[in-house]
Amino acid sequence: MIDFQKTEEQELLLESLREVYKRGDFEDYFKECDKNHVFPEKAADAMVEAGFAKLGIPEKYGGTDCDFTTLIFVAEEAYALGWPSLCWVNQALQVDDIMAFGSEEQCRTILDLGLKGIKPFTLGFTEPQAGSDSSAMAAKVERRDGKVIINGHKTFNTAANRSPYMLCLAREQKNENPYKDFSMFLLPMNLPGVQIEPLDKIGNWMMQTCEVYMKDCEIKESDLVGVAGQGFYQLMKNFEVERLVACAANVGMARCAYDEAVRYAGVREQFGKTIGTFQLIQEKIVDMKIKIENMQNIVYKAAWKKSTGQSIMIDSSLVKRYTGQAAFQVIDDAMQIMGGIGYTNDCRISRLWRDQRVYRIMAGTEEVMVHTAGRALIKEALKK
Amino acid sequence: MKVIACCKIVPEEQDIIVRADRTLDTGKAVLKLGQYDLPAIEEAVRAAEHTSGRAALLCAGTAVIDNSKLVKAALSRGADELFLVTDEALAAADASQTAAVLAAAVQKIGFDLVICGEGSSDIYAQQVGAQLGERLNVNVFNAVGRIRLSGDSIIIERVLEQEVEVLEVPLPAVVSVTTDINLPRIPQLKDIMAAGKKPVTRWGFGDLGVAVRSPLEIISTLAPESQERKHIIVEGDGDDKIDIFWQQIQKEL
Repeated sequence: MIDFQKTEEQELLLESLREVYKRGDFEDYFKECDKNHVFPEKAADAMVEAGFAKLGIPEKYGGTDCDFTTLIFVAEEAYALGWPSLCWVNQALQVDDIMAFGSEEQCRTILDLGLKGIKPFTLGFTEPQAGSDSSAMAAKVERRDGKVIINGHKTFNTAANRSPYMLCLAREQKNENPYKDFSMFLLPMNLPGVQIEPLDKIGNWMMQTCEVYMKDCEIKESDLVGVAGQGFYQLMKNFEVERLVACAANVGMARCAYDEAVRYAGVREQFGKTIGTFQLIQEKIVDMKIKIENMQNIVYKAAWKKSTGQSIMIDSSLVKRYTGQAAFQVIDDAMQIMGGIGYTNDCRISRLWRDQRVYRIMAGTEEVMVHTAGRALIKEALKK
Repeated sequence: MKVIACCKIVPEEQDIIVRADRTLDTGKAVLKLGQYDLPAIEEAVRAAEHTSGRAALLCAGTAVIDNSKLVKAALSRGADELFLVTDEALAAADASQTAAVLAAAVQKIGFDLVICGEGSSDIYAQQVGAQLGERLNVNVFNAVGRIRLSGDSIIIERVLEQEVEVLEVPLPAVVSVTTDINLPRIPQLKDIMAAGKKPVTRWGFGDLGVAVRSPLEIISTLAPESQERKHIIVEGDGDDKIDIFWQQIQKEL
């Protein structure tokens, strides 16, 4: 009844992924890109050419049908090999967001970008005063003289400098309940009035995160995605699955750090023997491994529940909170095993350590996960 | 054009354990397609694509090769169908026996061109292609670095020590290709999914009317003895340094 065996097709797909990675010999290139704060274009192109952008985009639109459990395995494996955080080429979930609510023209535009592995849009959600409290979003849409005008200030916009669009949530100012007042727009980032300013971050240097100012940006009524006032609920459609895929990055990055640190422990000699013979190092390795197993189990189980039609409302919060913290602990222990070398930018673990930290903050902080799951768990208990 | 690529299922090198007595333990090794066979498969698929023909894979070995993941792995690389010949006698088959089995199989399948890798990933005797051509009594060439299709013949390039030999070879023919003839495609998910639906034909020795008897007897297969590193480092590029370097090498030869 519990079966952890990947299908032969999934195994072969992961073998292909490893083959592309091996053929590309990307490690030094990633180091260079990280140092120069640029996106790893060449590596991304190789993955797109090998078909990894098409996965999960429906066949009839030029993609390759693929269930999201497989998408999770692929993302996890890519990060486990050392793929840079936030830079994976598969945009199937963003494409699906638009396919669900977008017009025919919007779908065509976003599909075309997704098939090329280009992140179609930066998510225009967070604002300086609206972090965990999304109801405080203040960007607004106004209709004047037959024109649709957006004003607002968004922040922590991943890939704002690379994505052609922002999926912008703005208030209609018609309903006092903010959640029923947001509309969703596909806002072209090259519009006059859009100003993009990169944030100076401690990690994730290969993918920019920006502030975006929108001053009297004139869009068209046809840029509305779905139904006016329904923007927030539309955004929630793939929310849980998107959260699981982000958590696959946690598992992958933790595996990447673990693999390197364990190999090092097996060969690094101090006091005339390998450091792996010291029990304090062994303890770290064992606890790291337990956390990786736990992370995989909780992610895979949630994926299985979702694919069998069960609710993962609570699960997705548990997974997000647990994998963010556990991955950080694994990577931190990996750095400790490496010693001083692990703290240098020459060692990949330092990049993982800088990059993964934000997964405890972005897309719902680990504290908000307590808020969402905690209440639901008590409610569930009272129902029994 | 009807093209057949021959491929061998071999143990993953990294999984092979060398025992203390230098014998090899392949018991725990994962099985995979031979590395040198991938360019052969790719070249066969390209030839079939360019001529609207058909590319078949042919693989001989013991029953372990009839494994659904291996079958999908092979067929995901673009060929239209797979022929598996299995018999326990192939466990320790040498080049001569393998060539005899493959010859019977390709005759039964029918072919214009047979493409082999430059050698198997395990034994690497580089013999099977040549012996197969001889048994079939058709043109046979090894070290082929390029194949161009030209009606009833192929134009091949062989990179030799001093020159590149360009030959027009009437079909049918058997060629062994080098690893730099192409960059084999990496299967995508749709190729992998399609692979499971492609036809597989399974034959035993009885179906082919072959019985193999080897003129060779393998007495032992041993890993080379490991040696301590010499730790001799010659730095610099002056004539005197090169002399020292050369003397050190000569001492070992």
